[in-house]
Amino acid sequence: MQYFVVFLTLFLAVHSQRVFTGDQVLRINAESEEHIQILQTLQKEQEMELDFWIHPVSVDLPVDIHVPSVHLQKVKIFLQEHNIPFSVMINNLQVLLEDEQAEMEKNRIKERSSKSLNFGAYHDLYTIYNWMDSLVTEYPNLVSKEHIGLTYENHAMYVLKFSTGGSSRPAIWIDAGIHAREWVSSATAVWTANKIATDYGHDSSLTSLLNKMDIYLMIVTNPDGYVYTHTSDRMWRKTRSVNPGSMCRGVDPNRNWDAGFGGPGASSNPCSDSYHGPYAHSEVEVKNVVNFIQSHGQFKSFISIHAYSQLLMYPYGYTCTNVPDQAELDSVGRSAVNALSSLYGTQYKVGNICRIIYQASGGSIDWSYDIGIKYSFAFELRDTGRYGFLLPASQIIPTASETWLALKHIMEHVRDNAY
Amino acid sequence: AHTVLYITGLQFVLKLTPHTPAASPSVPGQEDIQAAMPVEELDPSHYPATRAAKVAEHFINTRYGSPFAWFGSSGVKKAGLEDMGVLGTKYHIEFTLKEMTRNQDMGLCSAEVLFHRADERKPPQVQCTCSGAFQVNTSAEEEDLYQRLRNATSLLSGSDIPNSVGHIDPEMAPFWHLGGVASSFIMLRESNESTLLNMAHIDNFTQMETKDAQLMFQYDILLHDMVSQEILKWKLLLSWSPDGGVKVLEAEWDPKCQAIPTSSILY
Repeated sequence: MQYFVVFLTLFLAVHSQRVFTGDQVLRINAESEEHIQILQTLQKEQEMELDFWIHPVSVDLPVDIHVPSVHLQKVKIFLQEHNIPFSVMINNLQVLLEDEQAEMEKNRIKERSSKSLNFGAYHDLYTIYNWMDSLVTEYPNLVSKEHIGLTYENHAMYVLKFSTGGSSRPAIWIDAGIHAREWVSSATAVWTANKIATDYGHDSSLTSLLNKMDIYLMIVTNPDGYVYTHTSDRMWRKTRSVNPGSMCRGVDPNRNWDAGFGGPGASSNPCSDSYHGPYAHSEVEVKNVVNFIQSHGQFKSFISIHAYSQLLMYPYGYTCTNVPDQAELDSVGRSAVNALSSLYGTQYKVGNICRIIYQASGGSIDWSYDIGIKYSFAFELRDTGRYGFLLPASQIIPTASETWLALKHIMEHVRDNAY
Repeated sequence: AHTVLYITGLQFVLKLTPHTPAASPSVPGQEDIQAAMPVEELDPSHYPATRAAKVAEHFINTRYGSPFAWFGSSGVKKAGLEDMGVLGTKYHIEFTLKEMTRNQDMGLCSAEVLFHRADERKPPQVQCTCSGAFQVNTSAEEEDLYQRLRNATSLLSGSDIPNSVGHIDPEMAPFWHLGGVASSFIMLRESNESTLLNMAHIDNFTQMETKDAQLMFQYDILLHDMVSQEILKWKLLLSWSPDGGVKVLEAEWDPKCQAIPTSSILY
């Protein structure tokens, strides 16, 4: 039966446009030389479009004939009249071909399955990009990939969209990896993307959320920087744009947003790791996200994922004044962190950026809050300085798993508090 | 402590003579902390308390750190700020301490961290006591490592610790801890109210020839300041022995082109 698979594949390759419904393959056991001769004359018979898979050569071998359904009756009567025994080997060729196709497709998918990625390891940009494609292939009714622009060095910027349909649904934005050296941020986002895709339809809370809202997840928000941390400098933070008149490249993409831009907590020196850039949204990576968010118009939450320090923060960073929604954001943050801690006991602090970590102007969640996206949060993931940016890969999945509980809590609150 | 500062070109070198503790001895449990009357209670989750605790953490490592004992604060419980006028600002903090290599809880510590006025450019002064059994019993491992290194026929070296994916070879781990402890000397001296320093990476270390009982190492390390987000490159010459503890003999900051020294970024 082994040869069938090979044969069918070749068969399909040759006849890929034809349909073979009702066609049969007959196996003939010739008992004499006479039978062989009769079968050989049958071979010459062109009208019946007989397709010999095994030619009549000797009585020692079977003769297999693929007979088009329209000629089946005639052929069977002919064989019976000549007392040539036969059996039906393939009852309906089309069905067999379709099964075979499905099997091949399944194998193709398995080979580049989104599940075969090692979530407990750090991956380079192209591995992540390829994996994103496989996720889209595996969950075509839930996940799609949108190209939102190019980086300074012409890398594509992609965001994964999780949606069950509708148009202009309220949406949640999550970005990771805006600072290149914070590898656990993007690694967490990869795990999270897979989690959302696999839990939809199984987790009632997530399912109800996705039935009402869309989730947009940007896994690598600073691709140029991320590549640079793999090729040249593991401690790189910024973008890779050229600063005219300076030997130093790059702008801190989280000081470049139009929110108190150029104020305290950002440097005007291009060599600084917190250089704010020449003007707000000067960095194409930031501008692409700004444009996307603004033209979408329906974002209700904006969550940015960083590392390290174990913090969950809400606006503002550019000023220590409380936002109007301080009480609600603080309450949501505390419950989210309780959920996070419940998994491994990891301790997080909650508060506004300015008081929890430092005053910092030009930050993304300040911008998002000020354009009306109330549920704006920033995470700083593990750890608190022992490994810092060099968090062991063995901690990726624990980090992502605990963070998911906090993310889910925030998203559920957004779902249940429409505005 | 006797410090001589040379400024040559873009680099400056700190030469530290054999370490004499500044103002306060700090044998745990035998020191009376001045009755703390903080002027202002601080939120323990806010950054002023976090930064003060980090300084106390560095202080504890300079005193008690070793290749087998590396300490970290695991959360501030209480914090207060005392305005000391011309003297500077004093933080009173209570925090939990962990010995990180064994993930061992060390109990509660009380510390006073005095930051001098910024213009004085003096390192912070720390007094600290920790409750509970503070001593980590590492003497066996320390002696074992010490003897192995002294009897080795070649000098040890290592690099890229941890590596990009956070991996450390088990044989290198004590040298990672040693680098962290030695870095604490520098981080303690470099700290102010606008810094939060951690050792980010050991680029490389090399054991040096010595004639005396101390083992000597040259370390190239990277520090990370959370507040400015700068990566600071330091070269350290350090000595260690089980009896002598960790000492930093020389320290040199290696600035990148046109970089700004952290301490001058005060907003």
